Amino acid sequence: MKTVYILLIAFIIPLFASNQERDLQAVFLGRFAKFIEWPQNNRDVFTITLINENPFEDLLDKLYIGKTIHGKKIKIKYVTDVKDIGLSDILFITLDDQKDVGKVIKYAQKHSILTISEQRGFAQRGGIIQLGFVMQKPYLVINYDSATKSKIKISSSLLAIAQDVIKEEAE
Amino acid sequence: MKEKKYLLLLIMTTISLFGASEDEIKQSENFYNKSLSELLNTETELKANVGSRNGERDLLLSEVPIDVITSEQIRQSGSSELSQILERYVAGFNFPRPSINDGTDHSRPFTLRGLNPDQVLVLINGKRLHQSSLLNMNGSVGRGTSSVDLNTIPIASIERVEILRDGAAAQYGSDAIAGVINIILKGYGHQNQITATYGQTKENDGKMGRTDLFYSIPLKYDGFFNITTEYRDRGATNRAGADRRQLYPDGDPRNDLKDPITMHYGDADTQDILFAINSEVVLDNSVILYANGIYNDRKSQAGAFFRSPRDSRNDVDIYPDGFLPMIAPKIEDYSLTIGTKDTLSYGIKLDLSYTYGFNDYHFYVKNTLNDSLGDTSPTSFDSGGTTYTQQSINLDISKKMNSFLVATGIELRNENYTIYAGEKDSYILGSHSKNAGAQGFPGFKPSNEVNANRNNAALYIDTKYNKNKNLLIGLAGRYEYYNDFGSNLDGKLSLSYKPVSKLLLRSTASTGFRAPSLSQSYYTSTTTGQEGDTLYETGTFGVNHPVAKDLGATDLKPEKSIHFSAGFILEPFSGVSFSTDYFYTTIKNRILLTDNITENVSPDVKTILNSYNIGRARYFSNAMDTRTQGVDIRLKYKYRFENHSKIKAMLAYQYNSTDITDVNTAPSILGDDGEKILLGDNTTLIEESQPNNSLKIYTQYIYGNIISKINLDRYGSYKTNWADKVYSFGATWTTDVEIEYNFKKIYSFAVGGENIFDTYPDKFEDTGSFFMSGNGVMPYSQHSPYGYNGAFYYIRLGIKF
Repeated sequence: MKTVYILLIAFIIPLFASNQERDLQAVFLGRFAKFIEWPQNNRDVFTITLINENPFEDLLDKLYIGKTIHGKKIKIKYVTDVKDIGLSDILFITLDDQKDVGKVIKYAQKHSILTISEQRGFAQRGGIIQLGFVMQKPYLVINYDSATKSKIKISSSLLAIAQDVIKEEAE
Repeated sequence: MKEKKYLLLLIMTTISLFGASEDEIKQSENFYNKSLSELLNTETELKANVGSRNGERDLLLSEVPIDVITSEQIRQSGSSELSQILERYVAGFNFPRPSINDGTDHSRPFTLRGLNPDQVLVLINGKRLHQSSLLNMNGSVGRGTSSVDLNTIPIASIERVEILRDGAAAQYGSDAIAGVINIILKGYGHQNQITATYGQTKENDGKMGRTDLFYSIPLKYDGFFNITTEYRDRGATNRAGADRRQLYPDGDPRNDLKDPITMHYGDADTQDILFAINSEVVLDNSVILYANGIYNDRKSQAGAFFRSPRDSRNDVDIYPDGFLPMIAPKIEDYSLTIGTKDTLSYGIKLDLSYTYGFNDYHFYVKNTLNDSLGDTSPTSFDSGGTTYTQQSINLDISKKMNSFLVATGIELRNENYTIYAGEKDSYILGSHSKNAGAQGFPGFKPSNEVNANRNNAALYIDTKYNKNKNLLIGLAGRYEYYNDFGSNLDGKLSLSYKPVSKLLLRSTASTGFRAPSLSQSYYTSTTTGQEGDTLYETGTFGVNHPVAKDLGATDLKPEKSIHFSAGFILEPFSGVSFSTDYFYTTIKNRILLTDNITENVSPDVKTILNSYNIGRARYFSNAMDTRTQGVDIRLKYKYRFENHSKIKAMLAYQYNSTDITDVNTAPSILGDDGEKILLGDNTTLIEESQPNNSLKIYTQYIYGNIISKINLDRYGSYKTNWADKVYSFGATWTTDVEIEYNFKKIYSFAVGGENIFDTYPDKFEDTGSFFMSGNGVMPYSQHSPYGYNGAFYYIRLGIKF
């Protein structure tokens, strides 16, 4: 009987090929939040916004439904223009044009939004978390200075596991 | 009751297989419950670029069958050559070790799916890599072809090797018939490393030392400049049997020597210096300027046939004990690609590149003589050589439009092939005897010199339609124009469909072609003989040489292929995937080297040969059609235990079978034996000299600081034609093991062995020959898919910094 249960469990574990990097990125968006401290705000919803293309299709909506971050319900928002970002907590950026990326980063810094992107060089360009993949493993670069500029605090445990942290020597 | 349990199990399995539409979300949920450090240590599914101009995709979602060999697998190998490493991991990748095959000993060809070496396209970072200028002219697998030499690439520079097991000429152009190999060089984020490896065979030869350095300089915006250097020194191996001929004149007591070893039958003695660079500079506006290149300088030497003291080609005043001519080429090979990538308005991606590739195969012969020059003959010669240059300009444009991915582009290519003469003494016929030229490898003559060019332009489009994420339709087309044989149009249709979340069905149908290589069209190599007062030439002639034309040669046409494949990927459990793909390929007008055409063929042929003072001649022709079909099976498993140890296993099997389906009509001048002359002795080589099945079982287990590997390989049976008789050799298993200890994530030490049970292939039966025979000088078939060196043991030290 035990064998049958084990077999059943094995069959039911549902892991077929999806785009695993995307699945991981979707999870990281929310998981990073646990290691981030935003300035106090009165919003009762935690907003994750995607600007430009949505590579996750409906994955974020399904993954975060019924979940909370910092005790708040999660809202997923999809926008294509910086004007529509509004009040967000996390901003995932897939814009190609660096001028647009620059504008969005500036907006995010002003409104204390955690910016995340997989683009190479994103952290060096002022983004806060760059989440790429190297040799089948997540590769994390954090721009600590940019976070500070955004009045966002990143816990030391997250900084410790990043492959690279951009931080002014003077600090 | 028992039946009910099994029924329940069956129902649950069925639900699991066909009803789990929420699997992706469950996978993400599964990830969500892991700790951050666990997430960062999650190893994602392998990805591949090859076979699609629209970016990387997970292997398990690929519409075409692809193998990926990782840098970890490459590193965990005692082999110093990329071809040998791939042969260990990839079912259907054949890399025999020919010996006493002139130039082929030093630049050994590989094949995929039992086809020819020139029916595989090789790319570096997606750009076409040039072939060697060497034309394999002896009896090795791939006779009459030029192959890409994968061993010119330093292995420490490689991030992964993608092997597309499907025809893809409609996407990449000529040569992509058996498949495409895309070598991805290490890019951003790789650790610097130094590695030193030393090994030798159980027979205490084949001593191999290799050191390499990979060094990465980070640039702004995650750009990089990576450089890899490698020095590789591989000693010769020798498995020659006794030379049972009478070596000395009658009455010489040295004839009583028991079982003298006079020849060299094994790996060449080779030294390689290798470099690779790979760089991307990211500008402020995100434009990427990139460059990558490889450089290889190789010195090598291997024996020809031994000239005994009583051989008419020996001069006992120079070599009283006879001599073994050593063919010792110097090979220089390099390739450089420069380019730029940008994303324009409306998300249009652009990639413009220029690639220059060059190979110089320069023959030298040592420990030899030109017997016709008498006692004053030099003992080493510059025998001339061949070069091949390939330049390509490539413009790729791609854009994603909702459910459509469209890529289009143009490619302009120029090829140049030259033959340059050796020094005069390497080819002339002196007055001392009728044995002209350097023994072992007579030099190319001024009359053999060639400088041939070819241009081609291609326009292509590659589209993918992905409206429903479970259905993908790909359509590709490519038009080519070559200034020698004209135009060509190929197409490819690919479909993949996920009827349920754990099952992917896939199928492709395509046409393809292979342009005749310049070496096949123009290769000319002759030696001078003498009969009475008449000098005559024998050898191989380019198809446009007057004697070849008179003997029926025509301009070579491209080989044309049709492909079909169908298969599925199933992932029944987490970490387990199983795929099966059937493939079918027909090739028309395959290009072969004819048999020697002699005056015995017919009076007309005799008249032609005499009019040119030619003793015998051969040339390349579009000789026949073939059909290849088979099946690929892959089973992969990975599991992480509660104690954080990990196991990865892969079983790969390929069956392939090639049959000659038609032989083209021979030129009428060749008379009744025309068909036989066209086929030469290629029938066995084409149909039976490569194993039609291979099985690889790879297992890696990681526990703490220890990484262990076991690799089991089964090589199927094969046949060799010798003196018009076909000999069979049985299937064999080999076993490779390695154990590596890592210290402080910086230092590593590994001990391993390849073919640890010292397995040898079957020997020839007694053929009655002094040479290719179980009791002769060459006891093993040169077609043995894993050589005949026996066990090889090694140690490896590594430092990461």
